[in-house]
Amino acid sequence: MTLELKKLADYKDIMERCIRCSMCKWIPQVQIKSWKYAQVCPSIDEYNFHAYSGGGRMIIALSLLTERIGYSEELLNIVYRCTACGACAVSCKYLNDLEPLEVIEALRKKIVEDGEGPLPAHKKYMKLTEEVHNPYGEEPSKRLDWLPSDIKVSKNSKLAYFVGCTTSYRRKEIAIATARIFNKAGVEFQLLGEDEFCCGSPILRAGGEAQVLDLIKRNIKAFKERGIETIVTSCAGCYSTLKADYPRYVKHDFKILHTSELLEQLLKEGKLKLKKEVPLTVTYHDPCHLGRCSEPYKEWHGEIMEPIPLVRFPVPPLPLRQGTYGCYYPPRNVLKAIPGLKLVEMERIKEYAYCCGAGGGVKAAFPDFALKTAGRRLEEAIDTGADTLVSCCPFCATNLQDAIKANNAPIKFYDLTELVLKAMED
Amino acid sequence: MTDLQAKLIEIVGEQNVFKDEDVLETYYKRYADNFLVKSPIKPKLVVKVKKKEDIQEILKLANAQNFSVVPVSSKAVDPNASDAPHSENTIILDLTEMNQVLIVDRKNRMCMIEPGVSFGQLFPIVKKEGLRLLTPLLPACNKSVVTTALEREPITIPRYQWDSSDPLLCTEVVFGTGDLFRTGSAAGPGTIEEQRASGQAQKNPLGPTQFDPFRIIQGAQGTIGIVTWISLKCELLPDTRKILYVQAEKLENLLDFLYTLLKRRFGDELFIVNNLNLASLIRETSAEITKLKGKLSPWTLIIGLGGRQPYGQAKLEFLEAELNDIAKEQGIQLLNEIENISNEDVIKIFDNCTKNPWKLRYLGGSQDIFFLTTLDKTPRFIDTFNKIVESTQFSKDDIGVYIQPLVQGCNCHCEFNIYYNPSDTNIKQKARELFEKASIQLMDQGAFFSRPYGIWAEEMYKRVSPVVVDSLQKVKAIFDPKNVLNRGALCFKEESA
Amino acid sequence: MIKDNEYEALEKIVGSQNISREPVILDTYAFQWCAELLNVINDKPPARYYLRPAAVILPSSTEEIQQIVRVCNKYGLKFKAFSTGLGPWNCVSTPRTIQIDLRRMNKIVKIDTKNQYAVVEPYVSGAQLQAEVMKFGLNCHMPGAGPQVSPLASATSMAGPGFTSASTGFAGRNVLGVEWVLPSGDLLQLGALGQKNDPDWFTGDGPGPSLRGIMRGFVGAKSGLGIFTKVAVKLYPFPSKPEWKISGESPNYKFEIPNYLKFYIINYKDWDALTNALRRFEEEEISFMCYYASRGAICASFANSREEMFSYYSIHTRLKRPLTLMIGAQTEREFEYKKKIVEGLIQETGGKDYTKKIKIRDVSYAEALRCLLGFHGFLITGCFQSTHGGMDTIEMAIRMAKLNAPIKRKFIEKGGIADDQGEGVWLATYERGHMAHCEMPTMYDATKPESVVGWVEYAHACDELDLKEHLGIPFFIEGDKQHEWYGPHCMNYHIWLRKIKEAFDPQNIADPGFYITSKKTS
Repeated sequence: MTLELKKLADYKDIMERCIRCSMCKWIPQVQIKSWKYAQVCPSIDEYNFHAYSGGGRMIIALSLLTERIGYSEELLNIVYRCTACGACAVSCKYLNDLEPLEVIEALRKKIVEDGEGPLPAHKKYMKLTEEVHNPYGEEPSKRLDWLPSDIKVSKNSKLAYFVGCTTSYRRKEIAIATARIFNKAGVEFQLLGEDEFCCGSPILRAGGEAQVLDLIKRNIKAFKERGIETIVTSCAGCYSTLKADYPRYVKHDFKILHTSELLEQLLKEGKLKLKKEVPLTVTYHDPCHLGRCSEPYKEWHGEIMEPIPLVRFPVPPLPLRQGTYGCYYPPRNVLKAIPGLKLVEMERIKEYAYCCGAGGGVKAAFPDFALKTAGRRLEEAIDTGADTLVSCCPFCATNLQDAIKANNAPIKFYDLTELVLKAMED
Repeated sequence: MTDLQAKLIEIVGEQNVFKDEDVLETYYKRYADNFLVKSPIKPKLVVKVKKKEDIQEILKLANAQNFSVVPVSSKAVDPNASDAPHSENTIILDLTEMNQVLIVDRKNRMCMIEPGVSFGQLFPIVKKEGLRLLTPLLPACNKSVVTTALEREPITIPRYQWDSSDPLLCTEVVFGTGDLFRTGSAAGPGTIEEQRASGQAQKNPLGPTQFDPFRIIQGAQGTIGIVTWISLKCELLPDTRKILYVQAEKLENLLDFLYTLLKRRFGDELFIVNNLNLASLIRETSAEITKLKGKLSPWTLIIGLGGRQPYGQAKLEFLEAELNDIAKEQGIQLLNEIENISNEDVIKIFDNCTKNPWKLRYLGGSQDIFFLTTLDKTPRFIDTFNKIVESTQFSKDDIGVYIQPLVQGCNCHCEFNIYYNPSDTNIKQKARELFEKASIQLMDQGAFFSRPYGIWAEEMYKRVSPVVVDSLQKVKAIFDPKNVLNRGALCFKEESA
Repeated sequence: MIKDNEYEALEKIVGSQNISREPVILDTYAFQWCAELLNVINDKPPARYYLRPAAVILPSSTEEIQQIVRVCNKYGLKFKAFSTGLGPWNCVSTPRTIQIDLRRMNKIVKIDTKNQYAVVEPYVSGAQLQAEVMKFGLNCHMPGAGPQVSPLASATSMAGPGFTSASTGFAGRNVLGVEWVLPSGDLLQLGALGQKNDPDWFTGDGPGPSLRGIMRGFVGAKSGLGIFTKVAVKLYPFPSKPEWKISGESPNYKFEIPNYLKFYIINYKDWDALTNALRRFEEEEISFMCYYASRGAICASFANSREEMFSYYSIHTRLKRPLTLMIGAQTEREFEYKKKIVEGLIQETGGKDYTKKIKIRDVSYAEALRCLLGFHGFLITGCFQSTHGGMDTIEMAIRMAKLNAPIKRKFIEKGGIADDQGEGVWLATYERGHMAHCEMPTMYDATKPESVVGWVEYAHACDELDLKEHLGIPFFIEGDKQHEWYGPHCMNYHIWLRKIKEAFDPQNIADPGFYITSKKTS
């Protein structure tokens, strides 16, 4: 809601005001176009008990805070079987002003602070990140293993391509495509290489606030030392963390761009020319962290007034993150610029897109749940009649491709940059 | 004089208790020849009542002395013999003189009437107030309005039937226990007078609170309670009218068009009849009916349109134009008139009753088979019925068919009329054979006999889940624990008391 | 507490992943909208939690429900069904009661486009059903609670007033075939569904008396007499072209208003003029929606924030007794005809067309079609609940609104409930004006004990007013205490209601807390 960082107790009032309407389980009501794709929360779709919804977790948080319940294995499982995709918050805030996602995040932080969590899988990647600066435990020296020898990198560019851990180590094809596009379009960029540490997203989502603060400080320092002004990333997780989360801890004035935004800009400026036909029918999956979760938090200095008794009135009006200003159009505009490509939309898109299932530490701790969620999203993609699913996030890419493989699904997956590259190749 | 007779005289006075054979015979004759009645039973006594308190007393006596009570509200003979006793020890409670029109309320589009109020009595009263009744197709003038509403008889304007219970709203009822009750919003708080002073008009049939006793009373053939008044939903009487027709050789050719009209909520009166039934409705004598029937297509869909000042004309113009467009789109010929039938001929069968029951006009006798289904299933049932007509060698020319969409088009009443000359015993026997065979075969095919009179009851309850029967018996045991009301009817056999 | 062997018997039916007795899960079923009111009504502190169920179970089929209910009978456990679950009446009311969460039963079983009905399971939402039936040009009734709630629950178990009731009726009167698990575990199928040959959903009445008569009444039995597993509900024509084109991002959605749909706000100078207008508009049978909502309620319905709502409220001071009307049509001709009637009626009834003065966003049309206007009420204090609720005529409903205002003002002065100048009213017509109901949405702060107590005291005064002035039976007359208060004033109906409970559930296996208790319990 606001830039200010809050503890779980600060959300007590919000938790108590949940009306248990269950709007958090559905896409915004006016967007519902079918029985099949009306729901929005992967967690309750899988586990069904109310506890597994945004509202349910607010109740759990309240129960824990007010000591109606204590910690238990079941509690930890429920709290972490959530991709923290934020869809619940968008639906809730269509006609209300509660903050289920922030409560979930605050609850996770409390769990970590209390020494009760996170889950072993999260602890493992948090430890690895501390040791080798990436959650995969890969050698820092191998961070640029993906880099083909013919790619031109400019050490002194004020624009840095922040590759991100997943792209660097697991989705190298995205890094390669991105770098090649930049070269072809004449975009000078620097790479941080071994100096690129994890952005902190996986740690933050698991509730590791103290650890993430160190990372944030360190990364900002590194960016400054390298004279970086603009950071471009092809990872949605890095993007929202750098753009929305970092300023809550340390204010910065770097310009944060997702590759799709830069590509759109290049297209507009005529620096990027897409001439080759890519005859695909494509549907686009909005990564949660490129979309609704990337909306920055805003400063708010006001107070809650009661001009009429019992009618609470934040003065000035409280800024709400409703998913309004996520990055939705740049990827679509880039896709539309590709000759021969037909873009067809899924029912759940933009701020009410269904999560791929990987985020919030779920892929690490509950891989089966992650895979099932991706399977649901694939079904929706296939229902559009598309032969290709496109997204803009290496984490989504991994999970969705795992699901394609597991389900032998009749659909291909590409990152946006890969298609752009296809359209550029002679 | 028996002890029972004496006690009844004590309640209603000597002049209202009848034991004379000729009186009993009059009642007996109403149902004795009806095919629905397997073994007609003569009542022990007939008691005329005018006050609810007397009904209460009589039912308390019935509980104490273990006799059965069958209410009769119509002077007209009931073609379905719902007033036939099923138990030897039965008295008839004649409510025909309990016939006050208690309220006619134009503003709230309702009236409140006692059970003996007949159509002939009520039509002019409500019309004078600018209201129309929601009635079965051309009812007999001496038929009880309350009975038709209580028996869920089909009404001719489906778009005004929001719930299957319409037009019945609230009721005042004496349960089998002798307790007086009012259903729906009439239950209170407050007396009816107090409610009316607060602006209420006994319009909400639901409740009180968490049950709908009116739905248990309705369709019960007098086995749950004896109703002392009902409030009845009325509509505004149109002052501008127009009738349109569609004719077809095959019933199937009318259905899509009819479905469209139902979906658009177009048309007031809306039903299908075969040529014999249309002729019977329009003409008064057998000869005229035969003559007209020969000139009509096998099937006719009748569409009544109505409007009221000051917008009536505009409404009719709009409706007619829309209907014409739909007809054109569906390749349907929409007629303004059919040969030899004037608009006035048809209009007069609406908002009206007859002293010459239309089903008796052709041959003097009729036995009806009717059930609920959906429009799309009707051709199948008609096919089945026709095959049985053939197999029983009954004259297919003497069969009437009436299809009435109900509940805004969600289902329909499908009715076969077996017309026969009651003085021809041979034909009558054939008619009975056809009736019995067809009833069973239609049930077996899924025709839902929702109002199972007489011999249908046993057959129908055999064909539903035992949980339904068990549940009905539990309900009966609450409101009439000693089974004094129409004992033996429906699934409430003597032994279930 | 549920014993291990009891739990295991239930677990065997649904599998371990579909049952829980973990406090962390149970607590999420104890927390409810308005639970604090219920606590105060029951002389408890105003906590946001009501009772915790003994366990929560998630069946996937009617057969599983029957088995669960039989296990309850065997071990003396009670059960309480729960579908989309909005409101404290969804909570269990006694210990050793298991909550049967029907979320996994979420199918639209059938859409009969010709005969205009749909068969739904408990966890289908109104919006889901509408989205599917509108593909066939049809619409479904949705209650004022919103499109996220269950049409099955509304049709079988709750009061069902809605914003579109003028043209889509009352939920309890839209019921056709019903599949119902009785407190014994037996399966009762109403109407044609109960027949062995070609069972079908098109009617729920008969043979003979309709067992719908013991099913729900005006306000629903709230699972007090079993569990409804499927219901056929009547469908209605979609009011306009069945198109749904919406763009933009939340909350700034842009809705392409489908052809032939129009909102009107028509202002009347006093109650009498409004009464006459409601009646006349409904007599002409043209409305899709036709209701009275107070000035504040109108401002809230069309606002997206508190600030916007209050700015509207201060501007539209000339709105006295506004009638909200929406008309819809399938063709240009029908639309023109209806508009002409509206114009004529405005003139005839002495109304002033205020529509153009109010900023009605295009998305408000989507919200109206989807029955989402009422939800705007939560924007103000974050919580409201209605009092009254009786249904009969338009005149009675208006009288209720008039008589209530001074009482409400008195309680506003006391400080318990929020200040709407006593005017907060929603009065909807039903079935072309044949009926009307009136309720008083009343804002309070669920987190402030004095406000919760204030609401309860005010609600009690409303219930007393209904008794004294003969204004029908309010929505929330349910449970023994309330029934025993109102019953003697209303033909002692509670005695008969209790007999039904005793006949079908003598041991109170179906949670009687929001229904009535059998006294036959051994």
